[in-house]
Amino acid sequence: MNRRNVLGAAAMALGLMAAYPAPATAQAPFAEVGQQAPITILINSSPWLAGFERTVQLYIQQTRNQVRLDVTPYGGMLEKARNAVRAGASPYDILNLDALWTIEFYEGGFLRPLAEIDPNFSLPAEVLTFQDSNYWNAQRRWRTREGGALMGYSPNGNVHVLYYRADLLRQAGLEPPRTWDDVAAICQRLHRPPAMYGFVTRGERGNPIRYDWTPFMQGAGASIVRAPQDGDYTVTINSPQAKQALDRFIALQRNCAPPNVGVLGQGDVIQLLATGRAAQGLAVIAAWSTFDDRQRSAVVGQINTVVVPAFPGRDPGVAIGNWVFAVPKNAPAERQRAAVAFSRWFLTAGAQRAYAEGGGIPVRSDTFASDLAQRPEFRWMRAYLDSQPHARQELGYAEGAQVEAVLGLRLNQALIGEMSSGRALNTAAREIEEIFQRSGRRTGRLEPLPE
Amino acid sequence: MSIRTTDAARGEGAAPRAASDLVNATFRHWSLWPCLGFLLALSVYPVVQLVPMALSTIEFAGGQAVWRFTPRRNLDLLLADEVLRDAIVNTLVFVGLSVAIEMVLGFFAALFIACLPRGRVFARTIMILPILLPAVAIGSMWKLMYNYDFGLFNQIAGALGIEPGNWLGDTRWALLAVVVVDVWHWTPFVFLILFASIEALPQDVLEAARVDGASAWQMIRLIILPLLGPALAVAAIFRAIGAFKAFDQVYLLTSGGPGTATELVSLHLNRVFFEQNQLGYGAMLSLTIIAVIAATIGVARWAAPGGDRAVAAKAAP
Repeated sequence: MNRRNVLGAAAMALGLMAAYPAPATAQAPFAEVGQQAPITILINSSPWLAGFERTVQLYIQQTRNQVRLDVTPYGGMLEKARNAVRAGASPYDILNLDALWTIEFYEGGFLRPLAEIDPNFSLPAEVLTFQDSNYWNAQRRWRTREGGALMGYSPNGNVHVLYYRADLLRQAGLEPPRTWDDVAAICQRLHRPPAMYGFVTRGERGNPIRYDWTPFMQGAGASIVRAPQDGDYTVTINSPQAKQALDRFIALQRNCAPPNVGVLGQGDVIQLLATGRAAQGLAVIAAWSTFDDRQRSAVVGQINTVVVPAFPGRDPGVAIGNWVFAVPKNAPAERQRAAVAFSRWFLTAGAQRAYAEGGGIPVRSDTFASDLAQRPEFRWMRAYLDSQPHARQELGYAEGAQVEAVLGLRLNQALIGEMSSGRALNTAAREIEEIFQRSGRRTGRLEPLPE
Repeated sequence: MSIRTTDAARGEGAAPRAASDLVNATFRHWSLWPCLGFLLALSVYPVVQLVPMALSTIEFAGGQAVWRFTPRRNLDLLLADEVLRDAIVNTLVFVGLSVAIEMVLGFFAALFIACLPRGRVFARTIMILPILLPAVAIGSMWKLMYNYDFGLFNQIAGALGIEPGNWLGDTRWALLAVVVVDVWHWTPFVFLILFASIEALPQDVLEAARVDGASAWQMIRLIILPLLGPALAVAAIFRAIGAFKAFDQVYLLTSGGPGTATELVSLHLNRVFFEQNQLGYGAMLSLTIIAVIAATIGVARWAAPGGDRAVAAKAAP
């Protein structure tokens, strides 16, 4: 080894030490996985994809194992995953499943628990599980680690945060919002349509409005069903608290959002924030990568995040919308092992750090607590980590998709003024109760709200 | 001996000839079998398969589909489905409006271009461009143009000092906005059929009418339209079927919203079958849609000029 090589190696070692400071347990930043069969991952083309692609490239460089990504728009993911698991042999070795879809796959028996593939596999304690969305207790028909098998893990833990224009608030002498009243007050000060909207979030029928209304619902102390984890499927969506949440949501949208709020989708919300035409917006954390990207944003460095605002005197509601990586039962055994090996590597501290640096949303708590969080480009991490204690899953039952369709329509009809909020919630409650009745669940519903 | 030999010889030669005759005589029948097989396998079998699905509840357990025979369940769902009612009304309005506008525009475009002294080939090529574009591209393009804050239409409106339109977000306008996109996409199809038919019209009849002093409107009403009857019927039926099945553009533009303002039967079917994974009820919906389309075609065939009604009238004493 000549002198230049020695210096180079030393510099690289110093760089690596700086990049990956040794944690207390002195564990290796990356897992050694050995030679594995090539695998294919079904992955969605969401804003965090670029970060994942870079991390996969790092895996390929480090291990020489091959990973192919089938990048698919969100709209095509579910059918591709269904077709894969219902076929004789799955073309995919890891499926990325929206947490809402996981029940169908868990209950259908289409996935192989990770410990069945590799008995030594377990999730590192630092990995966030988003209310156990990656465990399945078949007897209780519920996602829980208590008696449940480890079916996968989350590659992306989307939760809502409130994005706001730090520069505008500073100029106006306003503090970042902590309550929905604060959001309304900031909107009142800054709303100058069409140049500037005070607050934007999705109102589009279906999953968009159901998901974006959920923090309001949770924050007001309302719920869709009383206690599904205990088998009590009494519908509680037409409670006074839910009405309060819906009225607040509608008032904010009507007073602060563009007139086309009834069809406003995720692309629109991100576009309005990134072009500097919205002062505040409720969106998932995965949208962050757009705002500091000079190619796509007119407000680089000016957007910041806080935990979703709360109703006065209550905790904030934070809706989890995570994804789950899982291994199909009908993938060849050799590739199932390779999928678990990749997973072991991907969940290491080093890989998660690389994932975050590439623009992904890591799922290890120690990544958020690391020096990364101090860097300006990762200023979203504080709000994300502070959100976790409040984050809750919804629709964790087999009828979730049907319930979402009902809520997605009725909430949208209330938003666009086709129904009063009371009537929308009463209608939704009746329809959801019918769904549970058809499934043979123990159900019922509250007294109707005044319409 | 010789007779026997002759008979034997005749018998040996006659048998292959008879077989050959039989093959020739029946060739036109059995040569269709492969085609018929494909038709049965790819069209009839899936539709037949929908029947047991429509009478069942299908769930998955242990990696397998589990069928439960529940004949009334899906029918009850169909009858109680409030969104389906809106979807049927919207679909009828969508089909009626879009086909009517496409027929009128397509007819006059064909007539106009057929009358051009020069440049007909060029004009025809330009006219058919929208059909060549994929529906996904058209949906995305029009969604951008309709965008409230950044769209072309509202940019123009702003430049003219007009209030911006909430094209896709207002329940009063959303279905019309979707119809406009369908008209833009499919009027060229009507144009193409009618243009070919106009080019093939008997010139002597048109010339005779002209010599007799018929006005342009009289020629259109009394000669061209009646002669184009079969072509108009074909174009209308094809477009009605296409409009009834419209999905991709509407899905991209509005996904059926706001509310149920643009919910079409095809979108609802997608929601039930794919998003909610209700396979049994989805099959019931599919069968209903197939039945409605078949009935529409039957009625159209009966009512069309030169159709079954006309044939029956001619056959009557």
